[in-house]
Amino acid sequence: MPDAGALERYAAPRALAEALELLRDGDATIVAGGTDLMPQSHSGKARFGSLLLNIRRIAELGGIALEGDTVRIGALTSISALLASPLVRERLSILAQAADQFASEQVRNAATIGGNVCNASPAGDTLVPLIVLDAAVELAAKAGGGIETRTLPLQDFLTGPGRTQRRPHELMTAVRVPLPPAGFVARFYKHGTRPALDISTISLGIGGVRRGDRLERVRVAFGAVAPTPIRARAAEALIEGRALDAAAIEAAAEAAHDEVRPISDVRASDWYRQELVRNMTRRVLAHVAFG
Amino acid sequence: MTVIERATLIGKRVPKMDAPEKASGKTRYIHDIDVSGQLWGKILRSARVHARIRRIDTSRAKALPGVHVVLTAADVPDQRPIGVNKDHPALKGDKVRCVRDEIAAVAADTEAIAQAALALIEVEYEDLPVIADPEAALAPGAPVINEKHADNVAMRFDYAHGDVAQGEAESDVVVEDSFKLHYVTHCCMGVSGVIAEFDASGNLLLHSNTQVPFLHKREFAEILGIDPGRIRIVQPPIGGGFGSKLDIYPFEIIAVYLARAARRPVKLVYTREEEFLASPTRQPVILRLRSGCRKDGSLTFRSVETLHDNGAYTSWGATTPFVMMQTFSSLYRVPHCKYHTTVAYTNNPYAGSFRGYGNLQATFAVESHMDKLAEAVGMDPLAFRLRNAQDPGEVTGQGMTFKSCGFKDCLRSAAERSGFLARHAEYRAAQGAGGRVKRGIGIASMLHVGGGACGTILKLDDFAHVTLMTGASEIGQGSETVLAQLVCEELGLPLSAVTVVNNDTDITPWDVGVHASRTTFIAGNSAIGAARKAKAKILAAAAKKTGVPEGELDLVGGFVVRAASGEAIVELAKLLRGLHFSDKAELVMTTHYYEPPSVHQDKGFKGDVSAAYAWATQVVEVEVDLDTGIVKMTKVTGAHDVGRVINRLGIEGQIEGGVVMGQGYALTENLVIEDGRVKNPSFRDYKLVTAPEIPEMDLAFIETMDGEGPQGAKGVGEAPAICIAAATANAICNATGVRIYELPFTPEKVYRALKGVAPKVAWRTRAAA
Repeated sequence: MPDAGALERYAAPRALAEALELLRDGDATIVAGGTDLMPQSHSGKARFGSLLLNIRRIAELGGIALEGDTVRIGALTSISALLASPLVRERLSILAQAADQFASEQVRNAATIGGNVCNASPAGDTLVPLIVLDAAVELAAKAGGGIETRTLPLQDFLTGPGRTQRRPHELMTAVRVPLPPAGFVARFYKHGTRPALDISTISLGIGGVRRGDRLERVRVAFGAVAPTPIRARAAEALIEGRALDAAAIEAAAEAAHDEVRPISDVRASDWYRQELVRNMTRRVLAHVAFG
Repeated sequence: MTVIERATLIGKRVPKMDAPEKASGKTRYIHDIDVSGQLWGKILRSARVHARIRRIDTSRAKALPGVHVVLTAADVPDQRPIGVNKDHPALKGDKVRCVRDEIAAVAADTEAIAQAALALIEVEYEDLPVIADPEAALAPGAPVINEKHADNVAMRFDYAHGDVAQGEAESDVVVEDSFKLHYVTHCCMGVSGVIAEFDASGNLLLHSNTQVPFLHKREFAEILGIDPGRIRIVQPPIGGGFGSKLDIYPFEIIAVYLARAARRPVKLVYTREEEFLASPTRQPVILRLRSGCRKDGSLTFRSVETLHDNGAYTSWGATTPFVMMQTFSSLYRVPHCKYHTTVAYTNNPYAGSFRGYGNLQATFAVESHMDKLAEAVGMDPLAFRLRNAQDPGEVTGQGMTFKSCGFKDCLRSAAERSGFLARHAEYRAAQGAGGRVKRGIGIASMLHVGGGACGTILKLDDFAHVTLMTGASEIGQGSETVLAQLVCEELGLPLSAVTVVNNDTDITPWDVGVHASRTTFIAGNSAIGAARKAKAKILAAAAKKTGVPEGELDLVGGFVVRAASGEAIVELAKLLRGLHFSDKAELVMTTHYYEPPSVHQDKGFKGDVSAAYAWATQVVEVEVDLDTGIVKMTKVTGAHDVGRVINRLGIEGQIEGGVVMGQGYALTENLVIEDGRVKNPSFRDYKLVTAPEIPEMDLAFIETMDGEGPQGAKGVGEAPAICIAAATANAICNATGVRIYELPFTPEKVYRALKGVAPKVAWRTRAAA
């Protein structure tokens, strides 16, 4: 039974400006696909503000577009739409790989990328690939008579489980992903016994620009091993620009194992998560390097 | 001359009679039923695991608009305890012993109001020490959970045949291990629910999902102190049972109390979370097995001790030793066997009956040892099993007589179809080779029993339409269709000529309930008996009318025909109408009560308890990822001695479903209970197998044509789930050389075992103490 708490009003505006105006009071609960909000409200984890703001009707928040050398993915873009987009599949393939392991078809049709980012789960499926892609979050707010936007790197935007730098009167409008350079390769891995429909025990993404037997501009990111998805900087440093032989891969895998600090919960122990980080970093790096 | 062709439905692929309704979403489950004037019931459960209740204040809940009744134990002074040990009051008054415990209940105009009222009930607890481990429960001086059982022992079972000391003396090899079997739960897609209503005369009508309506009728009569004749139980279509609906539970009684107090019908349906928290589980077991054999591979003895966690109250889980000891004593030829179980009270949730009834747990241990012993004497796993498998006609130490027995055929068929021996050798040789993903293959077999009695009423109307009234409930397993097929076979009618009525205790004859893989065999024989009586009556009337001797007549394709030629003599419907309007007006309506020729066990648990025994062998193939511990089940080859296939489509579905249930038990399903609390009461973290994980299956049927079975059939309902975990353990060992003694084989558990950092199951048995 959802706990409506302080809920007094419901609004479903069609224009961004109208939504931002409604957000000025700051005490709103935002709903798009509802795939996180509904279970959270049923289990009593979500506390409603006085306004329930449905943003689904705001056309400005949809669409995937190439703007110069940046792919702008509207916050309302569903996971299914990510999978269906040739631009995402061909140029941001690690994001498509994650979308392909995201929940069930029904949930993918409803869940949005903005929701997945703002829910800020350490295990959020799109977060690891977005970090590998150096994605940024675009936020909008009503300021004076106009709309003001700001952009933050996703890494900085996420501050803890369920916590972000979004201010109460701001709405996340898009994810901005710089187009990866030629030669960019990346792989996503999500640990679970099911092909999808599983909460990650750990997830990892590795990307880089391949130059001969070297990887440059290396990104190694993990989900579900810290309060937010993280980059493994020590592991990155060990392979940046170096020949990816077995010894380098092993060293990076050990470094990743040592730098993550996972917790134990009903899904796995901290020890096992660290073991997975090492073993799967090794495997995925070998894929990226040689596959 | 019109000749009617004979056609048979036996062994054909017959779509289930309830399939169109279910596939089109038209089936009305308990959730879909609302009765006029109905209130919603909700239950307040304990916030503590073990505590005294100091105070309950329901005044704020009672004051909430829309609330009609709030009940606590104090409001129901006539409560009688329920359960196998009669140790379980529906509403708890002075003490709570488990997080399931029902403290108060509300009946309100809507579900939301009832839920809101629960939040207004104030309970003050005084915590007591929690016993979450059955070993701790048996320790001297342990806190007492149930005051009538000061030693915390709910039950004990002792069985023996032969002399295990002699068996051990004759052994060349002896192995001994402890095994640990976990909690899983049924996960019926249709959650538990009931609607209780009293009529103006005080007669009780229950819309109930129970698997045992006739037993419940009697229990409710005792609970309410009224004549059982005043209780009627109607079952809506049941969205899955698997044993979970075999006992009477507090929620059903509470709904009745609420309806009595409110003088209104009360509907009480669980939420999914409540289903996880408050419906029964499979029995968790700690088990020590010692087994031996001679150099020639012949088994010498088995010595078994188990500790069953009873939870706070005693339900059917405590009685799983009845079935477990049969597997230890009689799965393969065992000259000497000793078995002991202690069932200990704890503050954990209690277990009930669950498809297989202890047999999955027992088979897991037995088949692990079959592989270990084979290895120790240098025999391949198949030859070792064939060396010890029984033949038809054998009588086991426990007194089971295997009239039909396809055990060896099951072993050979499953092994041959899966290429077991060659693969087993190949994968074993590859254990030390490179590669991060290892393949393995494992074999296991099972023996299962079935029994009980059932009545049938058969009515033929003036259009030769048959109404089959049977006490056997349909819970999705396909019994309606099988029973209709058997009747059609006797009366020479198409399936469309039969309506099955199986859900109303005021109409259907008595039956012991749907469980124990019994419906096809028992209800099937009962239905055939009624149909044969009807046929005799019809043919006698036809003989009288036509002058053709009865012995030369038969029923085929809706006609009375000459048996020899198939020549149609009279249309059946016409003959029946003639009977109705003749001088001596007569209806064709017959009854038959079937009780199988089995015997009750004696005090030592010995006797031929089942009219027939089902056998199966399953071969499981896996891939084990050494980097993650993930075990992927790639193929299951099953050979089942089912006596005879009645509905090929139905039996395939039942076996496929059972395999998947066994797969979940082996690999993914795990109800995590810590300090008495359920940690994962949702499908997010309680992992059922999903469609893409289901392995390829190759199923073979061994048709031994059981002499007592209906058309030769035996029960199969539980069989397919039973040996999957056992075969998976053997497959993982074949792939990696590592044997795991504890279920489920979740990635972390397997990974720890592969790394050699899994603690071995340790248990100090009574024998060792």
